[in-house]
Amino acid sequence: MKHVLRLGTLTAVGALALTGCGNDGNGNGAESAEGLEICYVAAAESHAYASPANAAFQEAAEEHGVHVTLLSQEFDAQTGTDQLRTCIGRNPDGIVLWPLDPQAYIPGLVEAQDADIPVVLINSPMDEDAEGLYTSFTGPDTYEQGVMAAEVMHEELGGEGQIVIIAGQAGNGTTIGRTDGFNNMLEELGSEIEVLQTVNADFDQQRALELSRDLISRHGDALDGVYANDDTMARGFVDAWTESGRELDDMPAIVGINGQQDAFAGIEEGYYTATIVQSPEEDGRLALETIVSAATGEEVDTRIPIPLTVVTQENVADEEPAF
Amino acid sequence: MNTLKRVFESPAVLTLIHYRVVVILIATLFLSVSLVPGLTEFRTLSLSLDRTATLGVVAVGLTVVLLMGKLDLSVGSTLALSGIATIGLQDQLGPFGAAVAGIVVGVLAGVLNGFLVVTLQINSLVATLASMIFLRALCHFLTDSNPISGDDPLFGLTVSRALGGTFSLRTYVFLIAILLLFIWLTYTVAGRRLYAVGSNEHAATASGIRSNRYLFGAFVFSGFTAGAAGVMQSLATNTGSPAFGEATALTAIAAVVIGGTRLEGGRGSALGTLGGVLVLAAITTTLEYESVPTYYQNIVTGSILLLLILLDRIASNSPRSALSLNSLLSFGKRDETPTEKKQEGKVP
Repeated sequence: MKHVLRLGTLTAVGALALTGCGNDGNGNGAESAEGLEICYVAAAESHAYASPANAAFQEAAEEHGVHVTLLSQEFDAQTGTDQLRTCIGRNPDGIVLWPLDPQAYIPGLVEAQDADIPVVLINSPMDEDAEGLYTSFTGPDTYEQGVMAAEVMHEELGGEGQIVIIAGQAGNGTTIGRTDGFNNMLEELGSEIEVLQTVNADFDQQRALELSRDLISRHGDALDGVYANDDTMARGFVDAWTESGRELDDMPAIVGINGQQDAFAGIEEGYYTATIVQSPEEDGRLALETIVSAATGEEVDTRIPIPLTVVTQENVADEEPAF
Repeated sequence: MNTLKRVFESPAVLTLIHYRVVVILIATLFLSVSLVPGLTEFRTLSLSLDRTATLGVVAVGLTVVLLMGKLDLSVGSTLALSGIATIGLQDQLGPFGAAVAGIVVGVLAGVLNGFLVVTLQINSLVATLASMIFLRALCHFLTDSNPISGDDPLFGLTVSRALGGTFSLRTYVFLIAILLLFIWLTYTVAGRRLYAVGSNEHAATASGIRSNRYLFGAFVFSGFTAGAAGVMQSLATNTGSPAFGEATALTAIAAVVIGGTRLEGGRGSALGTLGGVLVLAAITTTLEYESVPTYYQNIVTGSILLLLILLDRIASNSPRSALSLNSLLSFGKRDETPTEKKQEGKVP
């Protein structure tokens, strides 16, 4: 009973907040969107990035008067492919899919196309084979993030030095984008930064910690910089560094991605060079707005990236951490 | 106490407990239909069945293993491995040849389990836990931990697309598998011997049944069905992924147990498994249509599992069981039921 009450209060507060937002304008096209049925196959329900993205998605849906059915894959692509087909079976006005695999959803996308249901991909890219099967892909441009990270690193090290890359899962679309963007940009800049080693820490802090211990004992003080595919793994390196008895002040230049709170704290303290903010709220909201446009027959671009901001010591005070 | 006993011994309640799987299935379906508008539409029904078909085929094989009083935890890894073979060998063998290869991979995994459990006499839980880990690692090794995809994403659609507006091919495969299992277990000598071996391996051996062959066969059969499920799953998604099937083994075991098959062996049926699979499918479809978070679905599944096992214990009323009606009613009193000595079989 208590839970029901609390839920009720939350909903009421949420509704109030929404009415507040609604008055700021942003209500264009809302009339035709009223009553649309959207099926959203989300990556997960409770996750540092996915949860706020889902919440923003739902919130934007309420603003537009759109009804959302949320299915959670719990990071299991096999479940997701089935859920995508369940969605198609419901014959909604639009589907938003968070792909966890670059390929596996393609047969489902074909079926959605046959059934004339527009599909928007949120957050993660799919293979080229999937192109033309979805209406639009919203979400961060992971390649661009890698490019931005390379620019920061190049500038910070004055164009030369030795670094290591702590990457995410091998084969993951985000890992590939963020790593290739970084390496290609270094080349383009004519940088003399040398990548000593690239390791895969699977976006996992603990694994990054273990791998960083090895990196530090192998390369030790020869390291001038570390590029991590996300802030969580960068945190793993920072912990390994202090654990080895070294000082925070002697830390190599650290560049991460995502704009997490502890990265912001590190930048403020001065031992963390930069992170790139990618807002989950923006991610969720943009996907909802795009599918609403697509479902009401508006033209939408096939690629709509969310804005990215590089955060360094210069602007850390003005920016908000993503989560 | 006596009133309680009378309630439990009344014919109506006993009948309900006896047909508990059917009762739960009807209750779940009734709730689903009343909660979700449009669930009775044929298209929804067809899609829900299609979703459950892969799990269902795995459950068919597991039913036989559980009937023998053994476990097979490796079915999920087998599913992934045969899926990888089905997609990865398409260039060399063509899509049909590769699908056959996928099934062969499943059978081989079953042979491995049979060898571990029957020949080396390793406890089936431990043996299949080991093969589960080993085969999963093999999946990651073969694919370099990346999902692989086939050339033609449309080839596999035949598996999952509704045939002539009815059910998908894999739904038919599942339903036919259940029917064949039903005939096998009910009307053939080999089927009845399965029950004999499952109830008491040594007694069965003593009466001239080659128990070990049946046990070995059960694991091979389970590998075969997991392989078939892997082939269907990978074709439907055009992907062979080392991450597929990670939750399959436990969900399939839950479905079989909800269907009334006992982990101790010797009891269970094909139709029960069909019921168990359908209960899980109905729960998933209903709660997903209502946007209920996944962990709530797991709470419901877990509760139903427990409820059915308790009912099963009450219904079986055996003095050996800690939860028989008698022992429940005499809870707190001195345990008067004689403990049966387990027959440690020296075959004469």
